[in-house]
This record gives sequence, structure tokens and C-alpha cells, in this order.
Amino acid sequence: MAIDLRYTDAHRALRAEARAWLEANVPRDPLPSFDTAEGFEAHRRWEAKLHSGRWSMVTWPQEFGGRGLDLIEWLIFEEEYYRVDAPFRVNQNGVFLFGPTLMEYGTPEQKARFLPRLAAGEDMWAQVWSEPQAGSDLAALRTTAVRDGDEYVINGHKIWSTRAVHADWGFALVRTDPASERHRGLSYIVFPLRTPGVRVRGIPQLDGKAGFAEIFFEDARVPVANLIGGEGQGWSIAMATAGFERGLMLRSPARFQRTAQRLVELYRREAGGGDPGIGAAVTQCWMDAEAYALATYMTASRLIAGGSIGAEASLNKVFWSELDVAMHRAALALLGARAELRAQGSEAAAAADEACRWMDGFLFSLAGPIYAGANEIQRNIIAERVLGLPKG
Amino acid sequence: MDFTFTEEQELAAQALRGLLDDHCTGADLRRAAEARSAEAFAAACAVRRERLKELGLAGVLVPDAAGGLGLAPIDVARLAEEAGRAALPEPLIDAEGVALPMLAKLAGAAGAAGTAGAAAARQALDAVLAQDATVLAVAPGSGPVAGVADADYLLVGRSPDELALHRRNALRVTPVDSVDPLRRLAAVEVADGVPLAVLQGPAARAAWEAAGARHAAFIAAQQLGLGARMIAIAVAYALDRKQFGKAIGANQAVKHALADAQMRVEFARPVIYTACAALDPIAPPDAAAALRVSHAFVAAADAADRAARAAIQVHGAMGYSWEVDLQFYAKRAWALAALAGGRSAHFGRLHRALLDGGLATGPDHLFDAGSASSRVAAASGAAPA
Repeated sequence: MAIDLRYTDAHRALRAEARAWLEANVPRDPLPSFDTAEGFEAHRRWEAKLHSGRWSMVTWPQEFGGRGLDLIEWLIFEEEYYRVDAPFRVNQNGVFLFGPTLMEYGTPEQKARFLPRLAAGEDMWAQVWSEPQAGSDLAALRTTAVRDGDEYVINGHKIWSTRAVHADWGFALVRTDPASERHRGLSYIVFPLRTPGVRVRGIPQLDGKAGFAEIFFEDARVPVANLIGGEGQGWSIAMATAGFERGLMLRSPARFQRTAQRLVELYRREAGGGDPGIGAAVTQCWMDAEAYALATYMTASRLIAGGSIGAEASLNKVFWSELDVAMHRAALALLGARAELRAQGSEAAAAADEACRWMDGFLFSLAGPIYAGANEIQRNIIAERVLGLPKG
Repeated sequence: MDFTFTEEQELAAQALRGLLDDHCTGADLRRAAEARSAEAFAAACAVRRERLKELGLAGVLVPDAAGGLGLAPIDVARLAEEAGRAALPEPLIDAEGVALPMLAKLAGAAGAAGTAGAAAARQALDAVLAQDATVLAVAPGSGPVAGVADADYLLVGRSPDELALHRRNALRVTPVDSVDPLRRLAAVEVADGVPLAVLQGPAARAAWEAAGARHAAFIAAQQLGLGARMIAIAVAYALDRKQFGKAIGANQAVKHALADAQMRVEFARPVIYTACAALDPIAPPDAAAALRVSHAFVAAADAADRAARAAIQVHGAMGYSWEVDLQFYAKRAWALAALAGGRSAHFGRLHRALLDGGLATGPDHLFDAGSASSRVAAASGAAPA
């Protein structure tokens, strides 16, 4: 082992293969937003297309439809993916959160039942964790699942479930021991979103589209076979999922490198926009996108060498989410009065319009410091678990 | 593709850290900082200087064939980090990382056009490798340099096209005070004196260019260590200091300030390692490696400055006092941020390359198929294979 930042021939071959397939198959025009019914279905078809090329879950084992790539290879694939502006992954939460959780905690039957359909883009997954009174303080959740024969009967109220309006399945964190408190007595249960007793109500986001939802459970019945891991094990499984979420795979660096590249191109086109502060901001954004990529390569290398990732994953989440906001703010400053204009006509027209893309991206970037654990919570985690400061 | 250090690199860094933990404590730094004379300063540092010699780092970047260890700048990266972490007063990194490879180049240039005195340079190199003498470089146009008053040999140039070796006592060396009391600055006048050896023209220019890149990259590595150390000092204080009946470190305002500093340090780290890995021990960097060094310099300077500001604030009034050792690390960080071109020049170089000069950007250009230079070539129109 020694620092050697050169790709191998196998890496170059993988890059070439991915590039060729993506250039031949990525939709010529950007897909409409996946927070619309039309856009969701278009993105679902894209997931199936990716699967047909065996590109949907590149790090998964081959038996579940993947290629068994390691993290460096995954980074190479992601670089090619974002290089051609391939569609965002509508099944993000299934691919990067539920899938890895199931591989670690699921029974062979559960893996066979869910993973191939997930990989093929047949089932879209939504995370069902937060409640009106349990946001950052997730352990305060109250939704109950009471065992009744071979079923759990679920009652309660979940909220902020991303893409639950159009998705097929949810992975929920619920209280199976009604007498329990805090993180004890919780279980990890999956359920079809269209089940009697489950009512999904879309909540419009900043952009007006129902990108997330609240979910009401009224005596919804779910088979016991849908319990992932043991009863009462929910918290530790959920924290493992949260680790994936904040760690490497939720937001690959290529996404931000591509945004930084678009920002630099915009800056060049606008000849600097007349404000020297913007030039400094654009340069800083590019540096940070580059730093995030290098940091991810370093972490990936460490993990491949047998290392692990712990609370320092929170550093990643704060870094990329604030970088994403900064890049979009700089772009809006360059666009000036054009930034507020909406493309006329269809969702597809909005997706193809440069100014709309930056504004929509800006609105979405504002969610970054909030979802997957608000950045204030992440900073507490960094301070307490990385630096060793006392709990407040 | 591998981004992990070797066991040897880790062990070397640990050895230096162990030595400095014992012999470069805050109390050691204070004793030196409060010394009233050059002799008292030297006495306060004497034990550490002897121990450093025993580490066996001499000639780390000098080629095997010239009697050195034949290692690469990335082998020095972690050592520079440790030197920074301890706010080491000795110019160990400047000597080993910057000056010695230049002296080796001068010694190896015997017979080449524009050279003279290669034998004298060889003699000086042997003495330095045997740790009987020391050498430092004073870049053309540079301001006062730390440690030169104690060096036996100096590498200087009246212009970037000249690399000359002098005995220090043959040059006019005038001590200058620094805000960092541990940097024993002196100004060097290069007009007078006949050099022991000299290299002229493009070879000299290349040597200074290479030295400048190593200087900047190793400053960045030192800033990384300084930043981490200041955060550690602040954390220790925030655990110890109680107000309103609890440790001040339990307050989110304190936690978040230190978490932000930690984030800047940890995201500077891979950039600095990448920059050091892109450098050659002796040859100048290509355009892409030079930009990587600039990025490293800016990221590191900003991270150390953020750490310094946060750590001072966390200390409250103590942070503004001479009594707290934190000052030694903060002042070092601020001083280093202005050297090797300085933070602003490095940021400007990045800005120009990125926005005017056409540096290739985008997710597939991070390492550009292993060749750092193709990244810039691709941008300027020379198509890579």
C-alpha cells in the first residue's frame, strides 16, 4: 500500500464501458421532475433501462443484479453517470439506504423477495421514519405496530417521507413494544404504500410539487414476514441505514463536481457577472467540490483496505450540503433577473431550461442541510463523537 | 489507485510525533519564546535538536546515488504535518524538504554548462548529510527567512536564474523579529560574497520553481497539523472550563464552532496529500500539480485560520492572553499563510486557471487517467490520448 493516484487498466476499461453505455442510453432530453406523476414514471423506466445494462446497482453482488464493484469503481461509474447529466435516481432511498440495510439484516427469503425487484426498478422505496413530534429527535416516535397472530397492526402518523406519493413500498421505524421508551422497543418493518389502512397525502415542497408526503396508519395490517431483523432491533438497524445515508453513497462527489463544472461554465459565459465576489465564490466552490471528491477517494481507499467509517461521516454530510447551497447561490447571482423566470409549458421544458435548472436546484439544495439529519445535529455528532465534547 | 499511507510512512510520522510530544511541549515552546538571547534560545532547544538528528531523516529527498534516502515528497507530508502539530521551532522541513534537494541538484550538476563549484557543493552536501552542517534556502526576492542565522550554508539567488551556494558567514545576515517568537527570522543580503558553487539559467530557474512548490506543499501539511492541534487544545479547554455549572464544551455554540473547524481541516487533508503525491523530489511540478499545490495551500491556510479563530474564541479572555500556549500555534499558522507566495497569490492562480485559463473541470477530470498534466493539456486544446 502506498499513495498511488493512478487508475488501473481495469479502471479505464470500466470507465470506457460505462461511458459507451451511458452515451448510447441516457435520454437525449432531461426527464421531467420525478416529483410529478409523469416524471416519476419516466424515471422508473430509466431505472429499468439502467438495470437492462446491469448499471442500476453496480456495488451490489451479481446475484442481486449488481456488478460487485468496489467503492473506487463505484466512484468511476458515478463520474461517468454525472458527466452526461444522467437522470437523478428516483429510487435513491431504495438503492442506497434500504438495499444495503436488507443485505446486512434481511433473511435469505427477504433478500430474494425484495432485492431483485428493487434492482430492476420494479419497486420504488420511500423512507418512513419521521413523525410530527419526532424529527431530529427520532427516538421520540410514537407510531405503534402491535402483533396480532401473523400480522402487525400499525397505527400512527408519519411525515416527510420523500417520494412516498408515487413510490410502492416504505421502510418504516415503528414501536413494537408499546410500553417502551426512546430507542428501545423499536422495529424496522416494510410495507406496501398502497395497503388498506394506509393513507398517503402529498405535501407540496418549496417548488410546489408533492415531493414528500405524510402517511396515516389506521389499523393497517402487515405480515410478520415484513419485519427486518429482530423485534426491538429497529434502532440499531436504522442507525446503520443512517450511516449509509450520511456516509459515502447518498451523494457521490461526481454530482457536485458536475454542478461546479456547470457553475464555472456559467461564470465564463457571463464574463464574471461584474462582481469580483462571485469569482471568489465560484473558485471556492470548485475547490470544495474537488476536495470532497478527493476526500471520498481517500475514504473509499481506507474502507477497501479494511477500515471503517464512523461518526466522521457527519463531516461529509455537512460539507456537501453546504457546498451545494453555495454553488447554486453563486449561479443565481450570475443569472441575475433571469433566475426567477419559469419556462413556459411543460415540466420537460422546465427541466431543459438552464435558469430553471439552477433555480430548481437551488430550492432542492436548501433541503440538503435538513434531510438525513439536520446539520445542527451533525455538528453535535462531530463535536461529541469525533472531538469528544460532552453531551448538552 | 490507492490513497493510503504505507506502514513505513505511518511509523516515521509516529516516531517524529513521539519525539515532539516529549521535547516540543507547550512548556518547551514557552521557554524558547521567552528566551532573552540567541544563546538562551539555542539552550532551550538543544535537547530537541540532538534528538531530531537521531531520527535519521537527513537527506530524505536526496537521491540514493547522492547519499540520501531517495524518498518522495509524499514521504515528507506526514512529517511536515507532525512538525506543524508541534509548532516545531527548528526549520527541519525547510531544510530537508526544500533546501537539501536543491543542494543535491547543485552537487550533481558538475560539468554542466552554467555551473561552477560542483565539487564544493558536493562537499557541503556530504557535510549536511552527515549532520555536521545545515543548509537553508532563501528564494530570490524573499523576505526574512526563519532559522538562517543558525545555518552553515545558504542557497540564494540574485534572480530566479541563479542558484548560488554560500557559507552563511560569508553573507550579511541580519536578525529580524517575528510576531511568532519561535521563528528566528533574519534578512539575507545576497549582493556580496563569491559563491562556493553556482548554477545559472533555466536549470536554476527550474530548481527554484521546484523548491517553491515543495515549500508551499509542506507549509500546507504543517498547517494541517497546526489546525488539528489548535482544535485539540480548544477541546481540552472546553472540557475543563466550567460556567453555569457545566463544561462550556456542552454548549452547541462552542461545539459547532469547533465542528466547523474540524470540517475544514479534514477536507483540506486529502488535497494536501494529493498535492504532495503529485510532486517530484527535485524536478519542478507540471501545471496541474502546481495548481494542486495552490489548492492545498489555500485550503490548509483557511483551515488553520478557522481553527485558530475558533480556538481563541473558545478560550474566552484566556485566548487573548500571553499565558495560553495556543498563541504559538496560531501565530505560526498566520505566519506560514503568507509565505511561499502567500494564500492570496495561490487563490489568484487557481482563480485564473479555472476561470480564464481553461483548466478542465468536471467529474471525469479528477485524476485524468493518472497523468496530472493531461488535465491542463486537455483544457488548452492538446487532446490527450
